[in-house]
Amino acid sequence: MSKPPIITARDVNVFYGQKQALNGITLDIPRNKVTSLIGPSGCGKTTFLRSINRMNDLVDICRVTGEIKIEGKDIYDKDVDVVELRAHVGMVFQKPNPFPKSIYDNVIYGPKIHGQIKSKADAQEIVEQSLRRAGLWDEVKDRLHESGTGLSGGQQQRLCIARAIAVSPAVILMDEPASALDPIATAVIEELIDELRKKYTIIIVTHSMQQAARVSQRTAFFHMGDLVESGATKELFTSPQDERTQNYISGRIG
Amino acid sequence: MTQTEISFKGRKRPLETALKAAFFLSSVIAIAATVGIVLSMLFETIRFFEHVSLSEFLFGLKWSPQTAIRADQVGSSGAFGAVPLITGTLLISAIAMVVAAPIGLISAIYLAEYASNRVRGIIKPMLEILAGIPTVVYGFFAALVVAPFLRMTGGQLGLEVASESALAAGLVMGVMIIPLISSLSDDALNAVPNALREASLGLGATKAETIKKVIVPAAIPGISGGFLLAASAAIGETMIVVMAAGLAANLTANPLEAVTTITAQIVALLTGDQEFDSAKTLSAFALGLLLFITTLFLNVIAMRIVNKYREQYD
Repeated sequence: MSKPPIITARDVNVFYGQKQALNGITLDIPRNKVTSLIGPSGCGKTTFLRSINRMNDLVDICRVTGEIKIEGKDIYDKDVDVVELRAHVGMVFQKPNPFPKSIYDNVIYGPKIHGQIKSKADAQEIVEQSLRRAGLWDEVKDRLHESGTGLSGGQQQRLCIARAIAVSPAVILMDEPASALDPIATAVIEELIDELRKKYTIIIVTHSMQQAARVSQRTAFFHMGDLVESGATKELFTSPQDERTQNYISGRIG
Repeated sequence: MTQTEISFKGRKRPLETALKAAFFLSSVIAIAATVGIVLSMLFETIRFFEHVSLSEFLFGLKWSPQTAIRADQVGSSGAFGAVPLITGTLLISAIAMVVAAPIGLISAIYLAEYASNRVRGIIKPMLEILAGIPTVVYGFFAALVVAPFLRMTGGQLGLEVASESALAAGLVMGVMIIPLISSLSDDALNAVPNALREASLGLGATKAETIKKVIVPAAIPGISGGFLLAASAAIGETMIVVMAAGLAANLTANPLEAVTTITAQIVALLTGDQEFDSAKTLSAFALGLLLFITTLFLNVIAMRIVNKYREQYD
């Protein structure tokens, strides 16, 4: 028996003003797996990702209908506090965006605001553990108090991953986390993602089908606001059921 | 087969040359005028220091520039210690900054982070109107409304408030520089990349936490640059202090007393008929140069900070 999915989305519609960006998305996200969302630009994959931690709330004209449940709880319920939601659903962005603070302060930022730190020893432990999990510890352990913005692009992105991990989320959302990085830094991030899924559920938006194939176990293909097809990554890439999926993965559209 | 002869010789383009010269001249005129002003101030200042020593000017505690016309009259030599003027200027500017810095910064945070586009569209132009009010109107307001009000209120509380108090001038000057501070701080806050806001909110920080811990710290260089420019504007401000601060060169830190400022003294020294080689008249140039150096220094530091900060995020 497989475990129940950690996230269930049912008939999710997202509107920006009059324009509908997502049309009735229904999708299950399995726990401790990497699920990638692929599709051409403007297909709604990032919109879907951002509705999982309610970052869409920041856009005044954005409206979400339908139901997204995490561990069985509807995150669009009236009594849901987005602050608590985002403590459980971390996010890594397209461009590395470390705060202009020290590496140490970057990692400790989230745990501090969530009151997870009781002592200095706690803080040090969280910093070391998060940086180790993000595969950055050995590179920065001697300069924790230098600025995070002084690191290379790939290191900055791993710092952002460490920063997200530090809050101990259950789910990590990644919005094209390697698109601003060179191939070597990308490879490091991809290995890291594979390592991280042991502890976290990961949803990754990517433009690169090779990346989706390399890092994810499940793939969902979006096209013009519709979820066209989803399934095991291997199957979706070798025997797509829908013509649009086939066209996309063979490079005819997108 | 014949080959067409080609030539790369250009024709004369007199208009181009003339325009280029005109552009160059226009830019030189502004610079030349500034250099001329500075030099003339410098020469007159040097002449002033033939009468009064530099150390007396910079460290003297008494300012009383009235020199007698004939040498045998009483009080034939004035006192030219600029310290009371410097402290008066700083006192009024400090009061202005105490008023303007928090109000300007907080209103900038509201505008940049909380206000909807509609509210922003109303408030920003209003602040700009505030910035466009002629300073003589502020001066007027300070002298005829604020100063009497402070004197009356102070009287009821049993405090002795001079009719031309530093407080009145400082408060009104503070209102005058609020738009300057809020507009420069607003620019600095807006220059903080949205990615940082998202990073913080994405970690579950509230809006207030994000502003306090990420946005404002990231904008601090730009904000402090704005503060320095505002301080420089306050130090150089003239009309308000001429009308509201008075001419008594008191050496005091009490905001309820009358003080005078460098600018107000320059106006007083040069109003009316003057002999152009008396120490009294020449002292105005020395004060002018002192003021110029101070504000130039503040402006240069401020611009450096602001520019350095801009590069950081481009």
